[in-house]
Amino acid sequence: MSSMKNKRFNLLLIAVVTLVAAWSLWPTWRDYSLSKQLKSFGSAQDSLKYALNHREEIEDARKKSLKLGLDLKGGMHLVMEVDQVDLFEQKAWNKDAKFAAIMQVVRTKASKSDIRVIDLLVAEFRNENIRLSRYFYDIRNSDQEIVGKLEKESEDALNRAKEIIRNRIDQYGVAEPVITTQGSRKIIIELPGVSDENRVRNLLKGTAKLEFRVLREPEVMIRTLDRINSYLVENRVVAHAAPVADSSSSVLAPVPQTGGSPAQPGSNSSSAKPLYDVIGVFQNGTAYTAEHTKEFVVSLLHRSDIQALLPPDTELLLAAKPEVGKTGEKLYPIYLVRKSPELTGGVITEAKATFGSQGVQPEVLMSMNSEGTSKWARITGANIGKRIAIVLDGAVYSAPVVQSKIPNGNSVINGIESLEEAKDLEIVLKAGALPAPVRITEERSVGPSLGADYIRAGMQSLAWAFCAVSVFMLVYYKKAGIAADIALVLNILIVLSVLAGFNASLSLPGIAGIVLTIGMAVDANVLIYERIREELAEGKSVVSAVTQGYDRAFSSILDSHVTTLSAAFLLYTYGIGPIQGFAVTLMIGTSASLFTAIVVSREIFHLLLAKNLMSDKSFG
Amino acid sequence: MRIFQKTNFNFIKYRKIAYGFSVIVLLAGVVSLVVKGLNYGIDFRGGSEVVIRFDKNIDVGQIRSVLDAAGVSGTLKQYGMDRSFLFSTVFQGDMGQLKSLLSNALNDRIKGNHHEIVRIDVVGPSIASDLKWSALKALFASLLAILLYVGFRFEIKFATAGVVAIFHDILTVLGLFSILGGLFAFMPLEMDQSIIAAFLTIAGYSITDTVVVYDRIRERIRGQKPSEYERIFNESMNQTLSRTIITSGTVLLSVFVLFIFAGPAIRGFAFAVFTGIMIGTYSSIFVAAPLVYDWLRITKSSVRLRGSKLS
Repeated sequence: MSSMKNKRFNLLLIAVVTLVAAWSLWPTWRDYSLSKQLKSFGSAQDSLKYALNHREEIEDARKKSLKLGLDLKGGMHLVMEVDQVDLFEQKAWNKDAKFAAIMQVVRTKASKSDIRVIDLLVAEFRNENIRLSRYFYDIRNSDQEIVGKLEKESEDALNRAKEIIRNRIDQYGVAEPVITTQGSRKIIIELPGVSDENRVRNLLKGTAKLEFRVLREPEVMIRTLDRINSYLVENRVVAHAAPVADSSSSVLAPVPQTGGSPAQPGSNSSSAKPLYDVIGVFQNGTAYTAEHTKEFVVSLLHRSDIQALLPPDTELLLAAKPEVGKTGEKLYPIYLVRKSPELTGGVITEAKATFGSQGVQPEVLMSMNSEGTSKWARITGANIGKRIAIVLDGAVYSAPVVQSKIPNGNSVINGIESLEEAKDLEIVLKAGALPAPVRITEERSVGPSLGADYIRAGMQSLAWAFCAVSVFMLVYYKKAGIAADIALVLNILIVLSVLAGFNASLSLPGIAGIVLTIGMAVDANVLIYERIREELAEGKSVVSAVTQGYDRAFSSILDSHVTTLSAAFLLYTYGIGPIQGFAVTLMIGTSASLFTAIVVSREIFHLLLAKNLMSDKSFG
Repeated sequence: MRIFQKTNFNFIKYRKIAYGFSVIVLLAGVVSLVVKGLNYGIDFRGGSEVVIRFDKNIDVGQIRSVLDAAGVSGTLKQYGMDRSFLFSTVFQGDMGQLKSLLSNALNDRIKGNHHEIVRIDVVGPSIASDLKWSALKALFASLLAILLYVGFRFEIKFATAGVVAIFHDILTVLGLFSILGGLFAFMPLEMDQSIIAAFLTIAGYSITDTVVVYDRIRERIRGQKPSEYERIFNESMNQTLSRTIITSGTVLLSVFVLFIFAGPAIRGFAFAVFTGIMIGTYSSIFVAAPLVYDWLRITKSSVRLRGSKLS
């Protein structure tokens, strides 16, 4: 059945596949030998000279060579989740207490289950028998239309968030970052070779929501704090029957700043002024909390019953950075600001990290677009003598007093600790704010030394598996084993070249996939050879035994390859990250082995048979 | 060279012993799964894992006491062969915080032996439950795909018995993971993403051996009377015995190499695939084909198989 023409086509096909594989792997080989060459020089000068002379070649080889996965190269893998609850809250209008309560339920449920946030939202609204249109979009919209719009909205938000994060990473400068989205709310970020993980994490997780908000007068804040204090007292009365103290007198006097004076937050001390145990007020009307009580104060301010005590449209915010008190303790100022911002970061066109007028304090200068400039002039003009807080992601960076109207759209963020931090602020301000807060839900990082170990272990496994299997084939099938081994070499080449050609990266699970492929690739040959042995045992000639063997083994080879392929494909579809790497190499290897076992080894036999180099002893 | 000369085992006759054996192993596994459960890795339960490597030899107990004193709770184990340790904890927060906490504690209290944190993984709870779902989806989709494909290529009885055999293989490996989990320091056998990959690999491969046997049965059973089935099944299994074992053998060889050389990160996976393929080979001879035989015998139906050859 194999005519001369057919044979020639097969030989041509094998030649083309081999050449393409070699061509695709050539840059990898060049990259390897060039970097070896670079390391071989005695002095750094020589190697630098060599690198400069061969720059183009080195860069080209590196770009086209087989990429190594994060686990082999070292680096950071992050999964971030866009907070859809927050996003939907932003989209709603005429929000009331009922809405807040519903969203709170949705938020708790979303944190515990995998059900899509939008479905939880719809279910909760249905539970309460409220139409979505009461809060979302147009009153005439049906629930279904609104769900559609919100879905579109969250998809847009995810893509925008991805772009902004890409901007930030590009500006920070990471070589070859991979940023993809998964599902409706996840962003996967792979950063090879990142060393300063903390900085990257801080750069990524902030929403970069910049707001300019007017501060309320100090008297208003003190009255508010008093109100919260008495509320706290009242609510403890039941348990402790503590006398309600007249707190107003104690407020204006500064709370003593001795080391351990504030009571342990959260303890059930029956203090007369529970709030003033954790918050102090200076004579000038500035409130503050110490570092060790900060967390407690933050959680207190988040309570909805406490928020209800604030004047309408206001919010208590903490400073981003502490000030150092007299005794060296770190104190965080507290500000009462308007809830609705006068201006947001959307108007910022340019940001620049620099040192301030005294030349020691780093700061970030910002300029605004024309719309922002005119608004900013109006706002500053209307609030001369008042303080405007510069709030980034809910923390107050500074709250300068407006001295005069600012006509040129300039503003400045100070209260920054280091130039590095100022640079990071510059990056996030330039990249723009994320549409909704993001959260890091998974984080993996591998150091380069462990990566090198993984490479060594992977290469060792590859080499040993190849040796073991190919020696076994030679011993067990004698001459026919040679054909199987050649096919095996070609198989490994094909897997590596496909990975290199499609710019996929090789990870440790990927290497495991190749090792497994080595064992599975010869299976097709085993099936064929066993069949040929059977045919030979029935007394057929070598030529017809080979032909019959290939033909008859074909159906079981096909069936077994299809099942392995489909399992690997599903693994790729549902798996994530490292598992996909394994599935990909397994898929390529299995497909390649169909070709190598059926076409390549067969052509080798044809050649050997034509030259009379095969006998019935050749199959062991 | 030949491992098996012409064999003549009466597999069908002894199938009930094999059934009994399989049932006992499966029951043991299920009991262990219910009583002892599985040892979930952070991929599935959330939490953190840190691999710390020291410059010089150090006792596990010493590091443990240092971490205890620093108030960092979790479990510490030797990791791999060199001076590396795996610390795992339920912590799900900021990775930097965990890193500095560990680094400071170790720097302060273990002097003169520099350490490096070479790997750190933090997995939040939502990822963990996502993973569980996609693992189950992938597994059932692959079983369904195999059922349909084998049903299409052979017959539904063959396909069903094949899938039952896969189920048998995976459940046995799962049982082994439960029984042996945590018994060996070099191989904790935790359930993580790679084990899911192992299960799908087992599913795809288990059917390979089964198909080889089925293929031969199909070739020989055409036009035969049901009374001949027992002889045909036995002969087919004997004829394919050598290839069934050698194909599995080459894969076992390479997986064994993985188990030895590829390091602790891959060891659980290699163990799962190794045992899975051994059990898969057993089940293709002692579970899948005998089940088809019994099914044919009990329903007294003759086989109507689809085309035996594609070529």
